[in-house]
Amino acid sequence: MIRFLDMSNQTFFWYYLASNLAYLVMLIVALKTSALHQRKLESHRLHWFKDAPMTPPITIIAPAHNEEASIRVAISNLLELDYPQLEVIVVNDGSADRTLEELREAFRLRPVRAVYVPESKSAAIHGLYRSDRDARLVVVDKEAGGSKADAVNAGLNAATSPYVCVVDADSVLERDALLRIMVPILADPKRVVAVGGIVRVLNGSEVEGGQLRRVRLPAKSIEAIQVIEYLRAFLIGREAWAQGNMLMIISGAFGLFRTDLVRAVGGYRSQAIGEDLDLVARLHRYLREKGFDYEIRFVPDPMCWTEVPSDLRSLGRQRARWQKGLLDVLWPSRDMLFRRPYGRIGWMALPYLWLFELFAPVMEIVGIATIILAAYLGVLSRQFFVQFLMFGYAFATVISIGSVLLEEITYKRYNDWKDVVRLVSYCFLEHFPYRQLHMIWRLQGLWQYLRGDHVWKPLKRKGLASAGWQ
Amino acid sequence: MGSIFDRLWRLGPAAFVLKAIIAAIVADGLLLAFIFLRRTYRRRFFARRDARVFALRRQWDALISGQIPYERWRKSTFDRRIVETMALDAFEAAGPEESACLLKFMRASGLIEKRIFEAQHLTGWRRMRALVALGRTRAPEGVPALAEALRDRQVEIRLAALRGLGRTACPQAAEEILAWVGEVGLTVPALPLQSALIQCCTERPQLLLPLVKQAEGPLREVLGRVLGEVATPALAVELLQFVGDEREELRAAAARAMSHSDAALAFDALSELAQDTTWFVRLRAIIGMGRLADPRAIPTLLKGLSDSNRLVRLRAAEALVQFRAVMVPVFQHVIQLQDGYGLHAYLTALENADMRGKLESQIQFSTKIGDEQKSMMQKVLQTGRLPTEEPQQGKPAANLSGSQP
Repeated sequence: MIRFLDMSNQTFFWYYLASNLAYLVMLIVALKTSALHQRKLESHRLHWFKDAPMTPPITIIAPAHNEEASIRVAISNLLELDYPQLEVIVVNDGSADRTLEELREAFRLRPVRAVYVPESKSAAIHGLYRSDRDARLVVVDKEAGGSKADAVNAGLNAATSPYVCVVDADSVLERDALLRIMVPILADPKRVVAVGGIVRVLNGSEVEGGQLRRVRLPAKSIEAIQVIEYLRAFLIGREAWAQGNMLMIISGAFGLFRTDLVRAVGGYRSQAIGEDLDLVARLHRYLREKGFDYEIRFVPDPMCWTEVPSDLRSLGRQRARWQKGLLDVLWPSRDMLFRRPYGRIGWMALPYLWLFELFAPVMEIVGIATIILAAYLGVLSRQFFVQFLMFGYAFATVISIGSVLLEEITYKRYNDWKDVVRLVSYCFLEHFPYRQLHMIWRLQGLWQYLRGDHVWKPLKRKGLASAGWQ
Repeated sequence: MGSIFDRLWRLGPAAFVLKAIIAAIVADGLLLAFIFLRRTYRRRFFARRDARVFALRRQWDALISGQIPYERWRKSTFDRRIVETMALDAFEAAGPEESACLLKFMRASGLIEKRIFEAQHLTGWRRMRALVALGRTRAPEGVPALAEALRDRQVEIRLAALRGLGRTACPQAAEEILAWVGEVGLTVPALPLQSALIQCCTERPQLLLPLVKQAEGPLREVLGRVLGEVATPALAVELLQFVGDEREELRAAAARAMSHSDAALAFDALSELAQDTTWFVRLRAIIGMGRLADPRAIPTLLKGLSDSNRLVRLRAAEALVQFRAVMVPVFQHVIQLQDGYGLHAYLTALENADMRGKLESQIQFSTKIGDEQKSMMQKVLQTGRLPTEEPQQGKPAANLSGSQP
């Protein structure tokens, strides 16, 4: 027993150290690449791209399910984006409310026989509409398919541009977000096949007429802690992984893809729980198996602002779903592990996801249990145990403050001193008890999946009104 | 004397963790201090800058007219940067007259000369910044410095130079770019090169021809695409030689370019290209034929309606819808094709052009067709089904609107 506890504690110690070191390396890489990106931006005048004759068209796909309250403003916002050749496809995914009527009234829709090629699997279509007010707007009205992936596929079938940008209908995109996300593609259209943009927390900020007026930190602690999580995940994690061309996730709220490739892999998997991660994993597989020289990039400055859960129950459901989604993607991709054709995806990105993302809650709970037991039985020095806890706390705080620093030296959206002080203080406070709750939610997600609950469930959101929507 | 690892090892795990705690706490403190000091510094800097911008803006007219001697602000780096930024921003929104005035100011004040010097003598991001500034001025005297930067080792610098040259939009810049690609080949991604060349060659597209004839491989394709975008009717005879070129891009470019030329010359070439084996060559030819607006093109366009590629079908339909005087006979032909895909493409184009009502009324009041025929055509128009299609096949609306192989 004692031998087992000793071994378990050692394993946990090295696991924890490796995980933190990995994050430290990512922080250093992200600091370097963010600084480089800022420099690069100086050579890009965005409106030059806008005026450039060869800037390729983009189709925005915005799935909408029961969005009657905000759909008008959200779609007006999309149509006002700064981009030369734009098509906006709104997919009304079997809304039970007045979403379609709102769109009809606001944009004077008329039925059309727009070209719809059912290449990607989706539920049946009721009709296609084009706006008389703005011919760039197409609405696909379809039966509820039960998942966002199904709705996006319908949009994909109607898309006519070489690039598709998938956004959430209730997210707010900054006006130049499309020009910014296209920067890597315009620089190297042959190799860059997909680009992820940064998603930030909208809660608490002021939105007027679909445009973000003032960025504020949310008042509720649970929302503010998610701001730090998003900063850490996007500004450190994705930035660093993308540097090694190992980005495994492009957020479903804002990502750009080459249309032909998304179609080539069969579009989104309708039954996928984490459709965004799933698509990127299948793109990597397809492109590596075909031997393409490609890149999937992340750009940290095109901002998409989205609403995050504001109560523990919704947040718990979201995090459980993310964990289920992770397993739902990693399990079918297990044949890519440590195999030569998949290169660094099989040797680094996927093993990292298995070890430090999927197994993290399991390791954490087992580690905590065995350390407590060992300390109780006297196998572990209590002094060492307390010291190790303190180290873990201080180190995790370094990473969190590092992400705030990245935000500060690059985009600096929180201009109010009070917001920064609160943000920094949450870097210290998030470890107890939020982290432990997070671990439990993730364990719940794993348990649900293993029990056979593989269904995609939409989250209840308050709507943009919660973000100071006017 | 042991290595540092030996010494660390001898300290034992507890001491190691203790040191790690201290290191992490120090790191926390340093990061926090950096954030707050940086904020304080930036707040002061921007307050000072904003005040200066306000003051300079109030004297702007006097500044650019030279009433305020240039030396008064040029000596201070802080002021010089502000004035230059203000001038460059003004360029973006300025009309021709104001641009000329701003350019005169930048020349007289030595700002352009300074940027040219920096573009020629600095390296790295400083050079890039100078190149971008030169591009923003669109000053012709900046072209040699920008052209020189095309030979830089770093691709980012080359791109900045290329974009800058594109902004000048002058034939001199086009000559420099063409000389450079002729010399080194394709060393930058195609899109920025094409954009820059399109901007610079619009005035004199014939500059492209010698290099297009000489170039090989991907470069020839890139140049062919540019040629297709900028070609004018004056180049039509020259372009005829590319109709039979082995490179698809060049055939497509020829098709694109022929659409701008005289119908008499272009018609036969476009008819030939509309039968090409490559879909995008056919697409360009069909678009070109639509632009000619020549009724002789109708049979070719009708054939395009049954093309295996959906984009070709759609563009053929869009072109056919433009023949408003003969909408009824065209629609009759569309029905006679007995091709569901073609019919749907035509109906889509009709609805997108908001012409469905017009066709309905033309059918209704046509004296050249019988009642039975009229009723059949109205039915096809309303249902989107060909007369021979069995209704019990029961395709849902979605399939009707979008069925395609």
